[in-house]
Amino acid sequence: MTTNGAGGIWVVAEQVAGRINSVSYELLNKAQQLKNQLQKPEPVVAVILGKGAEGLEQLSNYGAEEIITVFAEELEIYQNDLYVAVLQALIEEKKPSIVLIGATAIGQDLAPMLGARLKTGVAAHCVDVRINENNQMVAVVPAFGGKVLGDILCPNTSPQMATLKPGVLGKPVPLEKPAAVVTAFDPSAVLQEDQGRIKALEIVREEQTGVPLEEAEVIVAGGWGIGSRENWDLVEELARLLGGAVGCTRPVVDEQWVQSEQQMIGTSGKSVRPKVYLAFGISGATHHLCGMKDSGLVISVNKDATAPIFEASDVRIVGDARTILTALIKRIKG
Amino acid sequence: MSLNITVCIKPVPDPDYYDKITIDPVKKTITRAGIPTIINPVDKNAVEAALQVKEKLGGKVVVITMAPPNAEENLRELLAMGADEAVLLTDRAFAGADTLATSYALAAGLKKSGPFDLVFTGTESADGATSQVPAQLAEWLDIPHLWNVQEFEVEDHTLKAKMSMENGYINYLVQMPALLAVKRSINKPRYTTVMGVMKAKKKPLTVLTAADLDVEPERLGLQGSPTKAGDIFTPSLARKGQQLTGETEEIVEQLIQVLRGAGLNLESLNVNEAGRE
Amino acid sequence: MGFFQFTEEQEMLRKAVREFVEAEIAPHAAEWDEKHYCPVELFPKMGEMGITGIFVPEEYGGAGLGHVERAICLEEISRYSAGLGIALMTHHLGIAPILYFGTDEQKQKYLPDLAAGKKICGLSVTEPGGGSDFMGLKATGEFKDGQWVINGRKCFITNASVADVDIWAVVTGQDEKGRALMTVFIIDKDTPGHAPGREENKIGLNGSSTGDVICNDVVLGEEAVLGEVNKGAKIALSAIQEIGRAGMAAISVGILRGCLEEGVKFSNERILYGKPLNRLQAIQFIIAENRVAYEAAKLLTYHAASLKDAGKPCANEFSMAKLFATEAAIEAAKKTIDLMGGYGCINEYPVGRFLRDAIATIPAGGTSHIQKIIIAGNAIRGN
Ligand SMILES: Cc1cc2nc3c(=O)[nH]c(=O)nc-3n(C[C@H](O)[C@H](O)[C@H](O)COP(=O)(O)OP(=O)(O)OC[C@H]3O[C@@H](n4cnc5c(N)ncnc54)[C@H](O)[C@@H]3O)c2cc1C
Ligand SMILES: Cc1cc2nc3c(=O)[nH]c(=O)nc-3n(C[C@H](O)[C@H](O)[C@H](O)COP(=O)(O)OP(=O)(O)OC[C@H]3O[C@@H](n4cnc5c(N)ncnc54)[C@H](O)[C@@H]3O)c2cc1C
Ligand SMILES: Cc1cc2nc3c(=O)[nH]c(=O)nc-3n(C[C@H](O)[C@H](O)[C@H](O)COP(=O)(O)OP(=O)(O)OC[C@H]3O[C@@H](n4cnc5c(N)ncnc54)[C@H](O)[C@@H]3O)c2cc1C
Repeated sequence: MTTNGAGGIWVVAEQVAGRINSVSYELLNKAQQLKNQLQKPEPVVAVILGKGAEGLEQLSNYGAEEIITVFAEELEIYQNDLYVAVLQALIEEKKPSIVLIGATAIGQDLAPMLGARLKTGVAAHCVDVRINENNQMVAVVPAFGGKVLGDILCPNTSPQMATLKPGVLGKPVPLEKPAAVVTAFDPSAVLQEDQGRIKALEIVREEQTGVPLEEAEVIVAGGWGIGSRENWDLVEELARLLGGAVGCTRPVVDEQWVQSEQQMIGTSGKSVRPKVYLAFGISGATHHLCGMKDSGLVISVNKDATAPIFEASDVRIVGDARTILTALIKRIKG
Repeated sequence: MSLNITVCIKPVPDPDYYDKITIDPVKKTITRAGIPTIINPVDKNAVEAALQVKEKLGGKVVVITMAPPNAEENLRELLAMGADEAVLLTDRAFAGADTLATSYALAAGLKKSGPFDLVFTGTESADGATSQVPAQLAEWLDIPHLWNVQEFEVEDHTLKAKMSMENGYINYLVQMPALLAVKRSINKPRYTTVMGVMKAKKKPLTVLTAADLDVEPERLGLQGSPTKAGDIFTPSLARKGQQLTGETEEIVEQLIQVLRGAGLNLESLNVNEAGRE
Repeated sequence: MGFFQFTEEQEMLRKAVREFVEAEIAPHAAEWDEKHYCPVELFPKMGEMGITGIFVPEEYGGAGLGHVERAICLEEISRYSAGLGIALMTHHLGIAPILYFGTDEQKQKYLPDLAAGKKICGLSVTEPGGGSDFMGLKATGEFKDGQWVINGRKCFITNASVADVDIWAVVTGQDEKGRALMTVFIIDKDTPGHAPGREENKIGLNGSSTGDVICNDVVLGEEAVLGEVNKGAKIALSAIQEIGRAGMAAISVGILRGCLEEGVKFSNERILYGKPLNRLQAIQFIIAENRVAYEAAKLLTYHAASLKDAGKPCANEFSMAKLFATEAAIEAAKKTIDLMGGYGCINEYPVGRFLRDAIATIPAGGTSHIQKIIIAGNAIRGN
């Protein structure tokens, strides 16, 4: 099998409850870059499944030249059997050469399943993709908690697929370009074949409080070295004073000092890139570092002068987290 | 109801040592010398989930891995934890497999090792960490699956399960046989007891090679992998840092300067804070 | 005599116990020490693990293993908390006489709960009059109207305030040469007249409770007699020799490993003259000495335990193991403190506790002097 026809660089845009996930825009920006690197440019296409979605023009703004909508009652909530059947049908018909999917909970489920159906390779939660001199997509895939990066190619099967971690590509930028052509794909034939092995019952959204990590310009992050739930209040307070978001490491989630797993930064958590990242009582395990390494200024406080976090920091303070937090809060409050 | 439950487990280098991993600059191989091999941590949650189902509804728990021969030790550990049988798929032909080829071999191993009503995996391995094996395994087995499962219940031949996602979750009904890839937070794996260790020796551990499986050889290992590995490297995260020293107050003063230098307007923040109160 | 080696199962068992210890014991050891708290809530958990009843046969609810396995458990626990180590070791010390000398009824009555860690056991021998003078015990048992009446005070008793079942050695008569004849009794915690007395404030091993136990006209039926009347000395002595000293040796092996590991860790991390501390030869010497002490104590201890499991004489071997391991642990802890410089004296690091614990192991199970007397006596007699 080789790439054929007009091909296309596809982005499977994710919507949850009708709202498009911002990772879709990051991927569209990236798809536009890939297009320019290809020997023969191919169109950038966004595919969106659901019952409907608000703000389709945003997909266009961030890079989609064509939008394929697949809207049906049955597709309202993500259901892997149905979504994959639809995408398989679409891909087999239109034969894109590249398919990009956000490495969200949904995307990380959808992509490998689709890859298995199409018997093609999928590069997993990549930190970057590019086109090489042979006109092939090279995906940069982290392994060993981010300590190792490997280039993954998919030279012999089509399409070339990759999932990309939300946040790793940086903030998406709107592009100056004509509005996308929107075409609707009728999934009813595919949906009729569904065997009903799996059925979505309901989707429940959890309230988010405070500044979302992905958007924060300042992140105050704490680790196991914060020591206790009471001390954790200091981390929250500093974040509030600086107008920033609160991040954490895995032990903090395990200790339940934070309310939600969504505050974890790292391989199994968020990838963030604030202007300023303050790390208190964080050792700097690879798993954590690879989620914050793209931050602007990194300031860290640790009582152990040999803690690996210092290697990855611009400003180092060897000292007690609680003492520094308390003094800094006092100083800012004046 | 008596259920046949299979759990897929992967031996991995202990993640506590990943800071020490290096890459041979010439051979471009990952050096993991001296790093102990352990059971992929979340796979123990998968085994725990399986044991809980068995304890509630009856049945049998089989653990299976595709791994080098010394994985027998890891399988024995899981037999000691409470699994009833273990299957090791080991063959040079499996080497170099990407997730599609890995899941293909695993699927063949699962079919060979008997019927199953439920298959458990972890969400992701600590080393390769693609999280792609569960969905692809389910595809090769032609059964439904859910990934990132936070809670589930077995009712008759149906599963009620909660897939966790960013800021929320989705509840599903899934018909069995089915595969569930479980999250770390789903349970706390039990300790292996002294009694468990003693029983482990008498439990069956079967070793299967490619020749024992009903497989197309060209779908195995490197040959059967649509993805190909290119360059491999360790990213440098090092920054040229400056250390702040002195008494706490002096350090904080310097820190304030640094934050201002980074463009934070602390005074206005301060006012805002005051205004809010 | 074959050299001792662990079986594959024993290695697996060690790993399983270690995982338990690292999660349930290591994080709390310092706090227990500081608060002088014996974590009784861990007994049922150790019961589920099979640790509390490790050498109790399966028919009585135990794991049905032996004394090598017991030593593995004690070593692993004492690597982090020698205090809990001695509480557990004494629990075993009380179980052993019931198991080896009890009637089937006594075993049925006591062993299942003790093996499961639902109840805690203790052994009360030492009295204020001197632990070394075993034959000089003062506590008495009198047979009156078909019942036994026990009176006396025991001191330095581990688990004094937490034990549910207390094994007592008392004087019940004299032989023709006027020497004390002893009988051993099983006493339930709530028996009227039986009560814990003062609680000692020890130098170390503070994850265990130690104190007086008093019997004031405690009335017991004949079913409380363990073994035969007037033949209890052998029962108490064999428990002390083959269970008590074995346990103290294994606990000290755990402390020795703690010293070795903490010393290596510190010397890897501490930067001095711009280099890790471990580059200094003086520091390497301490590490080498600690390593050899650990290995030697381990060999003596597990070898003796394997003799016990093989049903061979082992009292002398346990004396040697106990003497060497406990003394070596003190040395190693002191040297590790030296290795760490000022940090060694800071209680955030565990080695100070290791030293205090090691010192407290010396009298328990018989002092070093007593061990030397036994070992020398055997050597002189050609044993
Ligand atoms: C640097 C690097 C990058 C890689 N990138 C890719 C890539 O982009 N795409 C790709 O297809 N492959 C990739 N691989 C190869 C991939 O890691 C291997 O195929 C691996 O054997 C299986 O995937 P995983 O470890 O990621 O498992 P995951 O899919 O993360 O594992 C999830 C669960 O599947 C089960 N499982 C996984 N492996 C086994 C096994 N061998 N036996 C039993 N159960 C198992 C376990 O329950 C586990 O918890 C990469 C490898 C490296 C080293
Ligand atoms: C598969 C897998 C995925 C993972 N994914 C993630 C992930 O996404 N994100 C993540 O964060 N982790 C992740 N981890 C865990 C990761 O490996 C580390 O264990 C974790 O990041 C360590 O968190 P920590 O720095 O808070 O704790 P520790 O490593 O325990 O470090 C605590 C630090 O605090 C310092 N300290 C202690 N007391 C004080 C004090 N009073 N003042 C100042 N400093 C003090 C100590 O010197 C130490 O450096 C993952 C692990 C695995 C196996
Ligand atoms: C932490 C701890 C826990 C204990 N737990 C228990 C328990 O659970 N049950 C129990 O029954 N007892 C227990 N003991 C008591 C222990 O068995 C005694 O402390 C020990 O037998 C010594 O007795 P003693 O303290 O009365 O010292 P003494 O016998 O008074 O000895 C004082 C000194 O004289 C030396 N000495 C004595 N006799 C001789 C001799 N013949 N030759 C040379 N030197 C000699 C001793 O070595 C010592 O240096 C415990 C002790 C400790 C410290």
